[in-house]
Amino acid sequence: MGPGEGSSISQLRRGVLEYCVLALLRGTERYSYEIVHALGQAQGLVTTEGTLYPLLSRLRREELVSTTWRESEAGPPRRYYRLTPSGETRLSTFMGEWGHFRDSVDTLLEGR
Amino acid sequence: MTTPAEMHPLAETYVKELRHAAKKLPRAQRNELIAEIRAHLAEAAPACASQADVLTALERLGEPAGILVEQGGGPAPLARRLGFHEIAAILLLMFGGFLVFVGWLGGVFLLWTSDRWTLRDKLIGTLVVPGGYATAAYALVAVSSVEECSGSSGQMTCTGGPTTLGSIGQIALAVFVFVGPLAAAFYLATRARQQP
Repeated sequence: MGPGEGSSISQLRRGVLEYCVLALLRGTERYSYEIVHALGQAQGLVTTEGTLYPLLSRLRREELVSTTWRESEAGPPRRYYRLTPSGETRLSTFMGEWGHFRDSVDTLLEGR
Repeated sequence: MTTPAEMHPLAETYVKELRHAAKKLPRAQRNELIAEIRAHLAEAAPACASQADVLTALERLGEPAGILVEQGGGPAPLARRLGFHEIAAILLLMFGGFLVFVGWLGGVFLLWTSDRWTLRDKLIGTLVVPGGYATAAYALVAVSSVEECSGSSGQMTCTGGPTTLGSIGQIALAVFVFVGPLAAAFYLATRARQQP
């Protein structure tokens, strides 16, 4: 990921990623690996899964998500993430803006 | 927190590299990151996985250095401005002792709850000098009242005056008590700016 043609799309990706995490947690709670795995499966969204962990930790520090540790049937305990009220607000604001943003960009790209 | 799960040797090596790369992070953040990555690898690349699967899982995670760039917010962490939390901690450590001593305790609390300082920084901040300048002021009053003079008109007798050995000790103590808090404050300010 050097400077050049790839970096603008990677910046765009980076900006959107935290909202994708918040969106995954809408109405449900998930543990770290579930979130990372789900985002990793989405085409072209995440290039390196490892960088999602610092992102999760930042969302927690900003209190957009809260976490609880829970035992798992197999393996080590898991950290479950859920949206806080301010996380929900942030997500719904973004969803409103994203619709317009996406439509505008699409219109311009398609030259209509 | 977790019992280390069985991991593939390649995954172990990866975690070791990550630990090395994360040396500069504050301890709490580093331990947390490593615990998360360990848990990830326990699921994505268990000890029984094939070598190819483990390599794929590690490739998807990305280079340890890359993960840390994300954590630090940039390749070379620049000196950061001190936050209100840190400034309050440093001021209270220096002068909080004058606020019925409780102020200094508040400084210690802020010092230990900040993630901008390592354990070593926190110990230095607490021990150099307990009470800050209030201790210096107290020491000054204590030393000056050691020498008591009595008598009248020409015949003065003084007790408890400084002996040679005592005065060397006193000078050393005075230097520690007066220079210590200022030096510690400079040290803490510098360290807090360096932490990502």
